Amino acid sequence: MSSGIVELLESRTVLLDGGMGSSLILEGLADGGCTELWNLEHPERVRAVHEDFLRAGSDVVQTNSFGGNALALARHGVENGVVALNVAAARIAREATLAVGHGLVAGNIGPSGLFRPPVGTATAEQLEGAFTVQARALAEGGVDYFSLETFSDLEEARIAIVAIRAVSQLPITACLTFDRKPRGFFSLMGDTPAKAFAGLSAVGACAVGANCSIGSEDMLAGVAEMLVAAPVPLIVKPNAGLPAIENGRPVYRQEAREFADHVGAMARQGAAAVGGCCGSNHAFIAALRARLDREQ
Amino acid sequence: MDHSDLHERQRQAILDGETELAVELAQEAIDIGSDLGDCVDHGFARGIREVGRLWEKGEYFLPELVQGADAMRAAMAVLRPEFLKDRNDTREEHKVVLGTAAGDIHDIGKALVGTILEANGFVVVDLGKDVANETFVEAVVSEAPTVLGMSALLTTTMPRHGEVIELLKERGLRDQVKVIVGGAPLTRAFADGIGADGYAANAMEALSVVRKLVGPGA
Repeated sequence: MSSGIVELLESRTVLLDGGMGSSLILEGLADGGCTELWNLEHPERVRAVHEDFLRAGSDVVQTNSFGGNALALARHGVENGVVALNVAAARIAREATLAVGHGLVAGNIGPSGLFRPPVGTATAEQLEGAFTVQARALAEGGVDYFSLETFSDLEEARIAIVAIRAVSQLPITACLTFDRKPRGFFSLMGDTPAKAFAGLSAVGACAVGANCSIGSEDMLAGVAEMLVAAPVPLIVKPNAGLPAIENGRPVYRQEAREFADHVGAMARQGAAAVGGCCGSNHAFIAALRARLDREQ
Repeated sequence: MDHSDLHERQRQAILDGETELAVELAQEAIDIGSDLGDCVDHGFARGIREVGRLWEKGEYFLPELVQGADAMRAAMAVLRPEFLKDRNDTREEHKVVLGTAAGDIHDIGKALVGTILEANGFVVVDLGKDVANETFVEAVVSEAPTVLGMSALLTTTMPRHGEVIELLKERGLRDQVKVIVGGAPLTRAFADGIGADGYAANAMEALSVVRKLVGPGA
């Protein structure tokens, strides 16, 4: 596919999608359940979430494969399902774009859940192997590009990019997750956006950014620093505020309008691709679409 | 004799996450007959408390936190047999069982709680992360701890804490153990709501809560 994410990022602000996991919980996914298993068990519900995002105005949907590497799937005892679950994830997203009539499919890849030393004992070979198998399966399923998200370790994300590049020439975007600390924005490992974005683009990420961990208000406060730090187009995908607990379940109380105000302002300042993470359902994306359309 | 220089080096070793140095300084304290309790209070434990504060302030990050905790654990492993030798047997040793809720793989904060409790003389049994409700209940039976501490970092896993408490009630075990809970998304209201005995917002608070729960003498 020649007219893909790279061209789209050059032409206008790209509207990504919202939070898949939190949308599936609304669809009935059990707390702590394996999200990726739904690609085989309830493909129609995964596809419905994609279609809702596309109808709300997303230019891109991300496959339901965030925890789809063997190391993450092992926690649910389904590490042997990597290929089947990722191929299915890509096909479901593609079906949704064909049904709605527009949209790119981003093969979503999240972290392994393991840590390298000194925090844990994961080796580069172990991580590389897991991401290689997942990337190959997503490519086989027909994704348009790869989207790394929510990595808290810059080095793990770099290992993933190199692993993907060894099996596919499709574009790769990469987001780390940053917390807002008293001294600024940092990953869990202490990497600043400047260090992270330089490190990600150096190994081939065509766009870099920040997702999850923080709500739209905090993300807006960091976007100026991130724009300066990004040597390639910037992606921002904040959460829909912070969750509150009602009846033992997480509830995101932020209004879609406030979210769209914040994220719209990030686009105005120069973020090339925007979307939402946890708690942002299709209503948030629709509000953001309306905001972007008014301003473009 | 004034060992404040030794204490300062011990504090600094933890702050720098220097495990080998921390072990050497623990051994040095034993060899020169320094007061080991003072070495913990004024040296090693001060270091780990400072690591915790720097983490909260955003000056330290996960690698520094883990290295500090590892150094602390290593130093305590050297000192522990000495403490047991000297221990006044009239003082009861309290056991604390810790774990992160099922479905939750975050255990940094919980490990820090364990380290600080150990540093302060508690026997800690760490069940690790992603601990099944049933495993917590089994540990209450097999370990007979004074305190059960559960952690969660996800809003989706914190309901497990309440489920474990209900299981303990069902099995008639609730009165045998004090239950404390903690973790980033938790609040005191949540802890009260599920019927926990205590709530701590951070590792240092966990220590004072546990001390209060086990009563005087600890």
